[in-house]
Amino acid sequence: MPSLKPLRVSDQTQTESSVVTLTERSWNVVVWDDPVTPMSVVVVIFRRIFGYPNNKATQLMLTVHHEGRAIVWSGSLERAQGYCVKLQVAGLLCTIEQDS
Amino acid sequence: MASRLFVRRRDGRIEVRLNDAGREIAREAFGHVLAAETDPTHEWHASLNGPIDPSHDVDDPLATFNRQHEVSSNVELAVATLGEEFLNDAEAWAWLCTLQVALRATITAKGILTSDRLEETDDTTRDYIQTLQAFLFSLADAM
Repeated sequence: MPSLKPLRVSDQTQTESSVVTLTERSWNVVVWDDPVTPMSVVVVIFRRIFGYPNNKATQLMLTVHHEGRAIVWSGSLERAQGYCVKLQVAGLLCTIEQDS
Repeated sequence: MASRLFVRRRDGRIEVRLNDAGREIAREAFGHVLAAETDPTHEWHASLNGPIDPSHDVDDPLATFNRQHEVSSNVELAVATLGEEFLNDAEAWAWLCTLQVALRATITAKGILTSDRLEETDDTTRDYIQTLQAFLFSLADAM
């Protein structure tokens, strides 16, 4: 379930009603590098699961390769879990994390 | 072994050009994934059940159930089409996913987490990894 992060609480006086602004922090789907998965396989998986064009899928694959990880999607917890499951089913090392 | 193990045809199907030895390797990999999915003592089981959200001790049960269901569906389709000369799109995807799961499970079980560790591994394991990589290279190229 998405957690709620309070951004601003106004409590100037007891008589004024408090203004509370809440926002949902998004969840990131993170793919991690490994030493054996062929680059072309990662691109095919990103295209297939997210529908990304070849350029974007390739760029994300290169980010994973060079930086060790890449955030490949961000959004609601439920969808992030769904994408993470699909990536794991496709054999990639993947986790989710809440945006900081 | 032929350089192109999988070839996309004009009708959209993917031709499987693996010889008997190649199909046997695929059969063995698919069999291990199938066994690991249900057997908690199988050395590949942990790789198939990695954490989804590492910040929590236990993952969402529905998500883990969906993962188990999808892995099983893929491996069952891959096993059922092991002898086929041509694969449709869904079958090719099932092969790709299952071969990739087998590849990752192999390195996880052997503790091969870096390129250096891969260089140090025994010849048999390295040959097996390179064979699965060759299958995956060609299949991804055909998709």
